[in-house]
Parts: sequence; C-alpha cells; structure tokens
Amino acid sequence: MKETSSILQSIAQCIERGKVNRASPYPPDLRDRDGADELVRRAIDLGIDPQEILTDGLMTGMKVVGEEFRAKRIFVPEVLMAAKAMTAGMEHLRPFFASSQATHRGVMILGTVLGDLHDIGKRLVGMMVEGAGWEVIDLGTDVAPEDFVAAVERRPESVVGLSALLTTTMMNMKETVARLKEAHPETKIIIGGAPVTVAFAHEIGADAYAPDPPGAVDFLNSTVAEI
Amino acid sequence: MTSKQRFLTALSREQPDRLPVTTHHVMPSFLDQHFPGMTNDDFFDHFGFDPILWLNEQRPDENAGEYFDPDHAPGYLEPRRVVSDRWRIESEELAGLRYATTRYNIITPCKTLTMVLQSDEHTSWVTERLVKEKSDIDIIAEFATKPLCDVEEVNRRCAEWGDRGLVRGFVPGFDVYGQPGCWQDAAVLYGIEELIMATFEDPEWVHAFLEILMRRKSAFIASMKDAQYDIIELGGGDASTTVISPQIFRDFVAPYYARLIELAHEAGQRVVYHTCGGMMPILEDIADMGPDAMETFTPPEMGGDADLAEAKRRIGERVCMIGGFDQVHFFTGCDPERTRQAVRRCFAEAGEGGGYILAPSDHFFDADPELLSAFADEARKCVY
Repeated sequence: MKETSSILQSIAQCIERGKVNRASPYPPDLRDRDGADELVRRAIDLGIDPQEILTDGLMTGMKVVGEEFRAKRIFVPEVLMAAKAMTAGMEHLRPFFASSQATHRGVMILGTVLGDLHDIGKRLVGMMVEGAGWEVIDLGTDVAPEDFVAAVERRPESVVGLSALLTTTMMNMKETVARLKEAHPETKIIIGGAPVTVAFAHEIGADAYAPDPPGAVDFLNSTVAEI
Repeated sequence: MTSKQRFLTALSREQPDRLPVTTHHVMPSFLDQHFPGMTNDDFFDHFGFDPILWLNEQRPDENAGEYFDPDHAPGYLEPRRVVSDRWRIESEELAGLRYATTRYNIITPCKTLTMVLQSDEHTSWVTERLVKEKSDIDIIAEFATKPLCDVEEVNRRCAEWGDRGLVRGFVPGFDVYGQPGCWQDAAVLYGIEELIMATFEDPEWVHAFLEILMRRKSAFIASMKDAQYDIIELGGGDASTTVISPQIFRDFVAPYYARLIELAHEAGQRVVYHTCGGMMPILEDIADMGPDAMETFTPPEMGGDADLAEAKRRIGERVCMIGGFDQVHFFTGCDPERTRQAVRRCFAEAGEGGGYILAPSDHFFDADPELLSAFADEARKCVY
C-alpha cells in the first residue's frame, strides 16, 4: 500500500516537472532519474490498477500543472513538457483503455476552425483535457464545419471544442456552431482563442467559453457532473 | 509640430504637442476591400493618422558573389531577394489545394532545403518547415547569403518622402518567410513547438542555430550606418510569454537581441522591440536589452496581457511605448464614442509625460472607417 502510494506520487511529480523518462535531460535536477515512462511501467508491473495509475498518478500531476498555468506560475513550455511526460505514461495504459480496464471521463472532439492554421493553443487544451482523463479526438487545424459534424456523427457522446486565433477566422466558429447545432442539437460546444470572448460565445450559440485550457477542463467536468 | 517631430519627441521619451497616433502595417487586404487603389500615404492623410513609411531596401554583397534573384517579385514589405550560385531559390506552385500553395527549393552545393508556404487574402503561413534535420543549420551557416542594407536607396526614398512622418524599417527575416528576430526566425524555420522542446532537450543546438541566424542579421545591421531610418524593428510574437516562458526568454532570446540592439545603436539606429502577445512578465527583461521603444502592449481582451498603466509605471522611464489599443473591439462592432473612450483610456494610462505613441496592438485586418476616423480624431484632441 505504501509502495503504491509512493509510486503514484512519483508519477504525479514527473508530470508536474515534465520528467519524461530516464534519458531526458530535463529537468536538470532530475537528470538520470526515472521518468513517467519507467514509473508507469513499474506501477503496472506491481499490479496497481490502471485506473488508479491514471487518476491518482497522471491526472493528479496534470491537475497541478493546470493550476500552476492558470496562476501564471508556469508557462506554455512547461505545459508542453508535462504533456510529453503524460503521453509517455499514457502509452503504457492504452491497452487497458482498449480492454475497458480503464475508462475515460468522456470524449472531446477538438479542432481549429476553417481558415485558421494555429495549433499550439488548441494542442494545449487537448493535452490538459487528456490529462484530466478525457479521450481527445484532435481534428487538427483548418477544419471545415462538415468535418466537425462528421466527427460527432462517429462519436455522438462527444463534447466539441473550437479554437480560433484570428479575428478573421473566429467568424467561422459561428457557421461551425450553427451546423453542429442543426445536426446535433444536444452536443455541447465550447469555444476559445485569443480574440474570443464569453459574449461572442453567447452571440453565436456556443454553450461555453474558456479563457484558458483549465477552463475547458472545468467545463468538460461540469458536463459529466450534469450527466 | 510635424508628425515626424511628434514621433521623434515621443521616441525620446519626451512630451510632444499632442499624442502621436498611427498604426503598424496598413494591410493590403484591408485597402483592397474598403478603399481600392488607396496608398498607405492616402490612408494616413484620409484618416488623419501620423504617417509611417515602411522601407526595407537591401542589396547584395557583390564581393561575396551575391546578386539579386532575377526571378523574384517581392511581395508586401518583402525586400528584393539576394541569392548566389551556392544559394539559389526556386519555387513551384502546387495546384489543387484549398489555399494558394508554393514550394520553395533552396539549392546549395550540399543539399536542397525545401519549404512550403500557403497564403490567403490576409496572410501567409508555413506548412513545411525549412529545417527538418538538425544538421540543416550547418547548410544555412555555410551557404546562406548575407544581404546588406542599401543605404543609398533608403536615403533616396527618405528624401523623396520628406518629413511627413516616421521612417520605419526592420531587420530582414530569413529568405522566403522570416521575421526580424533570431528566435522568431528560428521558430518559423523549425516550428515553435519543436524549438521550445529543443531548448529543454538540446539547448546547445538551439544556441548554435540562433548564433547562425544572428550572424546574418548582424551583417545587415552593421551595414545600416548612415541609413536615415527613424526606427527599425526587432522581435516577434513567438518570444512573447503567450508562447514561451520568462526563463526561455532570458536564456535564448534576450542575449541575442541585446547584441543586435547594441550593434544597431553603433550603426546610429533606434530600435523598437516588437512583442505581439504576453509581455508583462518580461517587461523589465525587454527594457534591459536596451531598445528605444517597445510595442505592441496587446490587451487581455485580444489575447495579450498588457496593463498599460502598470507598464508605464514599470518601464515608461526607460523606453517609448507604442500600441496598447484594442483594435478588435474598437475598430469594429461598436459606436464611435466607445472608440473615443478607448483612446482616452490609453492616453490616461500611458500618455503622461510623453514617451507614448498610440497605435493598435499590431496591424488590423478589418476596421469600420467611421471608427478609424474617431480613433485618430480623438487622439488629436489628446494634447499635452
């Protein structure tokens, strides 16, 4: 029990600090130590429940990352490293998701709207949402409204996240929201991006606006609570 | 005061007769849509802005075997391209894609580097990065040309334009698609996310890359002596804290820009450091690099983090501040009185004692002409 608690705590710390694996030179003070990669593998080998590894190890670490990011104590680069560590750990858990021994909290379909090639903000949202235990289907950038609709048809239980960085492309959110709501009125839609505001979200009929990635996580978790 | 005197007074952190008011670039797509045939000068006169002339004249170093690319037709704000027999640039249009797409092949004796660009009516973006393997930077170091400033042409254009306003230039970006700063160029050539990860995993390589890019920019800046620019631009949004951390800024951005700024000052040039994105956590770091001015002070409502009043308090004694106006919410979709209020707010927060130039936070893509008029008219009423 003590060993389980200790290794899960170490996994969480690896996510917080962005320690991917033993070979990674970052962060310098953890050089030559095991990272999320090795520790998750070891936790599985010790027989720890994969759901517990996800919830009490990886997700716990990513929750701290989200809080630190929101408080502006860490920045995008640290989140990228945390996400890389998270991905390294998640690789070991994928077979358990496939066999339903571990489950996601829900599904998010994510994409940058038509005409907009910006990726990093949307990817940060995806990383933190995944770190909160959600399955993320990232449609990429420059995604046409019909591609969002098609993706929801494949996974109707999804929440949809739309990103735009430019004032010239944020208006494409409006059409995407309209097309989605027409085809799937029950689908929840959250929008975000530099020029986007809560007023704009209301104006175009989106269900929510998130000013930052943790805000998207909060919204998603609230939809689960509603269910 | 003339517009030029007004700008130069503000750049000296002194108090002009009234608030200088201008913009960053006037986007060709905006003029095409609203005022076909209107020039930049016409735009400034029509709306009562203090005018800016953007110049970026470069020339080849013929002693190094470099020459103008005979096949290159410069685009908006793009200088004539300089090539050599060991650094030839060919392009091909790729058909059948959603956007106008061009593949560029940079042909060197050792390897052909490739890059793909797409464009729409507003802007261009990279879809295939030039630096795909880390060793590609050695190709750049060995074969890339080093364009020089065409001082004679700059001064001829300045004389022609007279004292209408501010003559502004920038340190040229890398060939095909680059931007003024070393970090910004590296982000364009390698990808910002990849570059960030490399700072953690292979910092020596990132420094080597930045050194190579800096040498090229240094050669240009050193050649700017006697060019009659009023100010030249360095920087870029990928070095904002929207994208990188203060630590990366201190380790990988500031050392290079500080050297370039010092070199620019030695060449008699003023420098404006351009950050489109978050800058509040690094305000003093930027000022420590020694620029004469800083921009864009993008407000939170536009995805930045600028608090103009706080910025004025923290660095207003050290640099001229340019920007801070929210062009998204006050150039479109509001009544003129709200635009005027936003102008007065900027003046109240950053205008005290001078050293402030009112401008949108970077260029604007769209604007209601009535609001542009209100913006400039209200600024002209902000007298000292």
